[in-house]
Amino acid sequence: MTTLDTEALVIGSGAGGAVTAASLAAAGREVTVVEEGPAVDPDADAPFSLDEMVAKYRHRGLSAALGSPGIAYAEGRCVGGSTEINSGLYHRLPPELAEEWRVRYRIDEFTPAVLDRYAETIERDLSVSKLTGAPPPASAVLERGAAKLGWRAVEFPRVFRHDDGLHRDVKQTMARTLIPRAVDAGAQLLADSCVTRLVTRGGRVVEARGRRRHPGGRDEPLSIRAEHVFVCGGAIQTPALLQRSGVRHRIGGGLKLHPTIKIAARFPQRLNHDEVPMHRVTEFAPNLTIGGSASGRGHVALALADSTAEYADALADWERVTVYYAAIRSDGDGRVLAVPGIRSPIVTYRLTESDMSRLARGLVHLGEVLLAAGAQELYPSVVGGAVVRRVDELGTWWDSVTRSRTNLMTVHLTSTVRIGEERDLTGADSFGRVWGYENLRVNDASLLPDAPGVNPQAAIMAIASRNADQFLSAS
Amino acid sequence: MRWFERQLAAHLTRPDPDEAEPLEGADYVDGALRVMPMHLRVGILTESFAFGAGRLLLGRAGRRDATTADRVIARCRTSRIDVVRQYVRVFESLVLFAENELLPEAAA
Repeated sequence: MTTLDTEALVIGSGAGGAVTAASLAAAGREVTVVEEGPAVDPDADAPFSLDEMVAKYRHRGLSAALGSPGIAYAEGRCVGGSTEINSGLYHRLPPELAEEWRVRYRIDEFTPAVLDRYAETIERDLSVSKLTGAPPPASAVLERGAAKLGWRAVEFPRVFRHDDGLHRDVKQTMARTLIPRAVDAGAQLLADSCVTRLVTRGGRVVEARGRRRHPGGRDEPLSIRAEHVFVCGGAIQTPALLQRSGVRHRIGGGLKLHPTIKIAARFPQRLNHDEVPMHRVTEFAPNLTIGGSASGRGHVALALADSTAEYADALADWERVTVYYAAIRSDGDGRVLAVPGIRSPIVTYRLTESDMSRLARGLVHLGEVLLAAGAQELYPSVVGGAVVRRVDELGTWWDSVTRSRTNLMTVHLTSTVRIGEERDLTGADSFGRVWGYENLRVNDASLLPDAPGVNPQAAIMAIASRNADQFLSAS
Repeated sequence: MRWFERQLAAHLTRPDPDEAEPLEGADYVDGALRVMPMHLRVGILTESFAFGAGRLLLGRAGRRDATTADRVIARCRTSRIDVVRQYVRVFESLVLFAENELLPEAAA
């Protein structure tokens, strides 16, 4: 058995866990980071490739929230968490949302000015920036289509830094940035190690139990005693661990996500497939955002098949096909439930009728912008959805987006342990300390009171950084 | 992968799975099914046994051929019952992704 004593135990090494570990270690605290997945060389696999799915994705990307319809989702499971597998687009939390959450959940010290202060530091650390040259063709498509329609489109900054040696921009994931910084400052990193249960006594966590896998595949029990425990496993794994540990007050309910509907668009010209488009159509934001997805040959095949139309000809021409999406802010919500005897939590999500209507509107608007940009054929991720070639055909999609015909996915999951002083609505206080437990904190996407309508990594990191600062000043 | 799952995965890429060479990417599909969440895997296994039993019965009645399989898959793919539709979608997604990512030009 591996037995450890530490001052601060950080469970999970994604956007929340890495910020927490780096902040605490830099302040001279004794930190141990436990990550369930392996440490993977960030350069080993091509982004969004099959090899990357095997190495870095939980369940190889094969997870789904049950519901009508079910919603496929993906989580990272490796050192760096989901920052290793996302697009790397960066968007600060919109100030009006921060203000809305602050008032509704009575969150202390949660003004836009406070969050912006932390965001600025993160942006410096991760080299958040826009492209220096012209956008790649798959991204320029969105800009061009929006301009023709008179809609707003913006280029989002990214957490990328140009590497002169590699002659390309490199995503600044947590495995490249804050985790090494934490280790350099003295933090201990245990990869391939999983905490399965927190032992609590008298309102304190007294032990974290789990398993550790050694190189070669040997498993052994793991026991860690820590003065402070930060759970940072993301909006699915964090509530599951807490529930398994008997911590249940407002934990796991209220799951929020961005339901996403897709189109595979065929153009007359070849488009780039090596990076995710950085332009977004924000004309209908924050409730509806239009953007581009990973579009390797495998992704194009999946998107074409989701339409159930005949697609062999389009797939043979895949270098002219790219996948785009419309993502909505949802009025519905879901639940994460850890069931004894089942290792993975059961996740459910209920879409409202207004969500379905918003998805239909999103699909039609996405079709409009792609046709305006010169697309020749559009394959929607709707069973039996017509392949559209002209604007006047888009109307057929309004009635196609039904619960029994729509294929949805998401990569943004939040809000299963909300923060705030409204105890009836939240699982943790304004700084992530779990109600009823003196030394137990959550510091990840679970804390966001709602899905922000944009990639949540920036919001997660700003809030986690703020919470770590508050912890350091209070203890 | 169970017998029927292997048949289905093979059929999604080739018309006559009984005579086909080993499925390209079969290891990937098999591995993904092994690591998927247990409750989802149980649901898929249940459907696999049900569909597999149906296929066996059709075989005994002398009505099993590639055309029948095509019709059944097409009906499942557009089924209004979400779990039936998602069953075929899971296999189709895994097979398509693996086969297309494993092609040499996909990596180019």
